Amino acid sequence: MRVPGSRVLKVIVIVSSAVALLTFIAYLAIYLAYAAALFRWPYDYDQGEGFELYDAILYRQGEWPYRDNAAFPFYASNYPPLFHLLIVPLLPILGPRLVAGRLVSLLATLVTAATIGGIVRRETHGWLLPTLSGLAFLSSNIVYQIGPLCRLHPTMVMFETLAVAAIAGFQDRQHGTRNLLLGLFFLLCAGYTKQLAVFSVAAALGFVFLRDVRKALLAGMGLAVVAGGLFLLLDRFTDGQWMINIIQANVNEFDYRQTLLFLGQWLRLHPLLILCAAGLLVYELFWGRLSVYALWFAFAVGMGLLSGKWGAGPAYFVTSTAAACVMTGRALGHLTAALPRRWPRAASALQLLVPLAFLLQAAFTVHLPTDGPLFGPLARLLGVADRPVQGDCATFRYYDSGGYTQLGHRLTADDYQGGERIMDYVRQSDGPPFSEEAAFSLLSGRPVVTNPTQLLNLYWNGLLDTSEIVRRIEAEEFGVVIFRAQFYPQPVLDAIGQHYRPVEHVCMNGFYYHILLPDRLLSGGE
Amino acid sequence: MVTKRQLGIFLALVGLTAAVGTVAVDWIGAGKWSGFGPLQWIGLSAGLALVGIGTVLFRIGDRPA
Repeated sequence: MRVPGSRVLKVIVIVSSAVALLTFIAYLAIYLAYAAALFRWPYDYDQGEGFELYDAILYRQGEWPYRDNAAFPFYASNYPPLFHLLIVPLLPILGPRLVAGRLVSLLATLVTAATIGGIVRRETHGWLLPTLSGLAFLSSNIVYQIGPLCRLHPTMVMFETLAVAAIAGFQDRQHGTRNLLLGLFFLLCAGYTKQLAVFSVAAALGFVFLRDVRKALLAGMGLAVVAGGLFLLLDRFTDGQWMINIIQANVNEFDYRQTLLFLGQWLRLHPLLILCAAGLLVYELFWGRLSVYALWFAFAVGMGLLSGKWGAGPAYFVTSTAAACVMTGRALGHLTAALPRRWPRAASALQLLVPLAFLLQAAFTVHLPTDGPLFGPLARLLGVADRPVQGDCATFRYYDSGGYTQLGHRLTADDYQGGERIMDYVRQSDGPPFSEEAAFSLLSGRPVVTNPTQLLNLYWNGLLDTSEIVRRIEAEEFGVVIFRAQFYPQPVLDAIGQHYRPVEHVCMNGFYYHILLPDRLLSGGE
Repeated sequence: MVTKRQLGIFLALVGLTAAVGTVAVDWIGAGKWSGFGPLQWIGLSAGLALVGIGTVLFRIGDRPA
């Protein structure tokens, strides 16, 4: 019996759609497994997590984290408050643990993915394309790596995505004003989560300006008054420390080669998303009308180009990845609607466009643990089981198509033992621990002393008086020093070198943690 | 409402400013490379690209941007 060609094609479309969907669900499962592993890990996984948690703890205690860095405990935050305030309600439930912030971040990425899906759904038909567009965001190596960390970046991206989704409908006849106000509110939230959101603010207001100059000027002025008013209030409440720590401490050296490195990685990992997004941007620029999403994509790539700043990383491309996912969904939606009208006889075959495009993209972002009963066989099947990630002092059974990364692997029993070993030193110390990561101090109920990169930035900008911190180091007031990257001002490192001696190098999470004790404790034993 | 022509003029002006500024940093002695550095090439290329895009948009005319 002869099977009609259209029926065969229909089966192929269904099968390829199912495979594409399963592939991205598998990425989601890998993401959630990684998040679950991180939720159990009590120490910093990424340097800086503990400080963000500490900011939330300070807010809960009714204190500002914007302080004089020259006075004990030499700690200040360099980020706006919103992410840390979102953590505060979880602290009574989860305790002062990193899991509180990690949970907020994970939820933020899930909301972002759902919003991407919602945006695509508004302009297309069916559920497959919106679902794949949202899941593609979570499948990005960069999103996977930083998504469940106690870092504020994913929350900023969530607010940015919600903002553009709302502002896209600012000319809606029924809800235009509501949408605009909602969009401005989310932009304000994004900006008070992380300063980088200024790019999305420019994109959103730029879009309103293209369509309605008067509304754009009013919206821009309104946002400036509210954001500026809050800025001045915070600066006043903190005696000027807000301005120093949020703005002046964030002026860093820029290395364009670092930008090119991260840009190249982003391009290599998301070629199809970027191609579709750029294609739709060009189409809208020259043939159609620029959408807020196209402008957002362009400005978000601009944000990514700032990744050459000292201390920046691939995370600067998360917003552009979210924008690329939206644009890809819209581009494929328009193509699948327009092409069958032009070539009616190829209408059935064109249904393959969406699943095949996303399957092609999925091949570029392969990342997964390469051990365990589930991931081990899958890694062998994909031929990546024997390509582990090499840390400074450990090898991780994890593969990432982006190449070397400090993030993404799961913790091992050795890592937990390493953490416990460091905690022994902290618990036994007879003075406050001087630790490059805050989690050790927080877990032992000791004061958090120093935010190293903040001190370093201020020192480089000539804004830090190191005399008090050096005096306390010379007096050997700190019971133990824990170094990882030694991101401290040179006078601080010099003073520690003269008054503290290394006693052990503990391997944890792929890094050596250098434990130093004061001379006064070691001299007696010689 | 902004037209493609107006957007084109804006982009061309931004591109022109970027290109001239990139070349001008040598006149005021900024930058750490002697001669024309890699960042200047990037800036000049981006500026000229914007001028090109702006010119095309200018020719499209009064359609909404």
